[in-house]
Amino acid sequence: MSTPGAPGAPGHEGGPTAAATPPRRRWGELVLAGVIAALGVYVLLAAGGITVPGSTNTLGPRAFPYLVGALLVAVGAALVVLVLTGRAGQEEGGEDVDPTVRTDWLSVALLVAALVVHVFAINVVGWPFAAAILFAGAAVVLGARPWWRAALAGLVLGLLVQVVFGGLLGLSLPPGPLLEGVPFLRG
Amino acid sequence: MDNLTALLEGFSTVLHPVYLLYALFGVFVGTAVGVLPGIGPAMAIALLLPLTYSLEPTAALIVFAGIYYGGMYGGSTTSILLNTPGESASIVTAIEGNRMARAGRGAAALATAAIGSFVAGTLATVALTFLAPVVARWAVRLGEPDYFALMVVAFVTVGALLGSSVPRGLAALALGLFLGLVGTDTLTGQQRFTFGVPNLADGIDVVVVAVGLFAVGEAVYVGSRMRHGPVHVIPVEKGWRTWMKRDDWRRSWKPWLRGAAIGFPVGTIPAGGADVATFLSYASERRLAGPRRKEFGKGAIEGVAGPEAANNAAASGVLVPLLTLGLPTTATAAIIIVAFQSYGIRPGPLLLQSESALVWALIASLYVGNLMLVVLNLPLVGMWVKVLRIPRHYLYAGILLFGALGSYALNFSPVDVLLLVLIGLVGFFMRRYGYPVAPLVVGMILGPMAEDRLRRSLAISQGDLTYLVTSPFAATAYAAIVLLLVAGLWLRRRERAAEVPQEQSPETP
Repeated sequence: MSTPGAPGAPGHEGGPTAAATPPRRRWGELVLAGVIAALGVYVLLAAGGITVPGSTNTLGPRAFPYLVGALLVAVGAALVVLVLTGRAGQEEGGEDVDPTVRTDWLSVALLVAALVVHVFAINVVGWPFAAAILFAGAAVVLGARPWWRAALAGLVLGLLVQVVFGGLLGLSLPPGPLLEGVPFLRG
Repeated sequence: MDNLTALLEGFSTVLHPVYLLYALFGVFVGTAVGVLPGIGPAMAIALLLPLTYSLEPTAALIVFAGIYYGGMYGGSTTSILLNTPGESASIVTAIEGNRMARAGRGAAALATAAIGSFVAGTLATVALTFLAPVVARWAVRLGEPDYFALMVVAFVTVGALLGSSVPRGLAALALGLFLGLVGTDTLTGQQRFTFGVPNLADGIDVVVVAVGLFAVGEAVYVGSRMRHGPVHVIPVEKGWRTWMKRDDWRRSWKPWLRGAAIGFPVGTIPAGGADVATFLSYASERRLAGPRRKEFGKGAIEGVAGPEAANNAAASGVLVPLLTLGLPTTATAAIIIVAFQSYGIRPGPLLLQSESALVWALIASLYVGNLMLVVLNLPLVGMWVKVLRIPRHYLYAGILLFGALGSYALNFSPVDVLLLVLIGLVGFFMRRYGYPVAPLVVGMILGPMAEDRLRRSLAISQGDLTYLVTSPFAATAYAAIVLLLVAGLWLRRRERAAEVPQEQSPETP
């Protein structure tokens, strides 16, 4: 690219990702460290509001929360300093993780959306269909094509789990209004 | 002799055909899930918890024992046949095993891993059989401050010694301790950090946290940076004759025994479980290799045999503090404790007396499970290879589905699933910024136990803090923490040194 031989120069214009990622990543990491410290402050403040019954003679219900809060504040602050001084964390690897690509936030949002829809669908359409929505939704977000094959797989899997766990193992998974009368789906 | 009678009774329970089927089911499912990339033993057990909700305790524990060992076995297949390792315990295996597979010796690598795991697993189970009653008898005499000291040791080792960054490990531990605080205080009945939500009064369920961190967090993290395109599995030559040649046996048996000797003791002390054991075994095999040392990093069979044996021996070793002290020293052990607790069983020094039949049936099922694994695994390699090829979009969608099922089935309340999503997001951000998740799970389980011990200690001593350190055992434990910190730093430096050959080795043409 254009900037010759300047190590560590922030090259944002779609250059090699290895050089471009650290300055971008630091914000999120800083926020996470800050949230940990803030949680610690909250724990310290809220611990003072825990009622201590008169019968408590030595360590009451507040002492351990104070310790935990102090630990959170200490490590949160230490991590803020670490991130600010450029010692960023090493993100986790894995078989299916491509270390060369940037985080695809859209996929993250859509996966979470599929989960949330699943949560609210359970009591409306029943577990097997809510499961189908989750499976098909997540599979399509992760790249399953064509979408109808994923939907079909989700439906089959949802019904199969319903039969095995609800019918055979006796977990009371709600089959939903559509399958209400089917005996072997009952939990 | 007493132990042997009890063990034989355990065997007579386990050898009942129905329980044998449960054991077979456990090892089969455990291996299948363990083979799946991205799923370690901790996640396997967390995901498969709902399977056992409707079983009676003995059957459930037998299934768990199978899943536990099966998951450990499965991980080695993954790391040998795929390019990158799954569970952390298999990383050193991946270095040598993967090189061997690329050189066309995958079958030998799988065989030495499987047979080594069997040998070491069986030896370690024998050691467990004899050691557990001794430790339990000794542990009865431990006082409250001694238990508190043990837990502090576990906090330090799990939080600070594991993972690549000490502050991040401690942060994960502190988050876990906080989650453990949520709920009703056991000693005074006060609600703490429940935000007025009635569902939180009983505390956050550890299963939701474990599944959220391991399953949902992992799936979302992989989804955020997925490796697209076909999956490359290294082909394995067919036929049992290719498994191990005479020379392979000659080179493997000593590392197996050494791996067992290293793995079991490391597993029993709260020093990080299998990861440390595999690394120590790898380092010692490399040192003892003599003229073969130059093969390390290019596919030395000793580098698969030793660490794999150590891995499984450590897995049995971890059960010693788990069963006799109720002390989980790894994330996997923490989840096993949860499984015990869901049956109202409290692991601890009295467990061997109060639930004698159950514990010995569990130990007997470890022997049986080990045997089943070695018999099952080698012939079924072809099937595991197919499992490795599962399209990744279906794999991770399935992980999300079973994670959601597991937390929904706890109370049949969608609120738990919503909590699962929230904790999954926390797990995603922790992975993304290099925070280890295991200390969180361990902290959440051990936190309330430690608080309980601490407060009881100080109630006994009427507020005198010196009571915490004056017992000889507690004093030794705190001294050990200092030693562990020094040793841990030394080990980490050695670990970095051991990574060098991997980088230096030339790429296969």
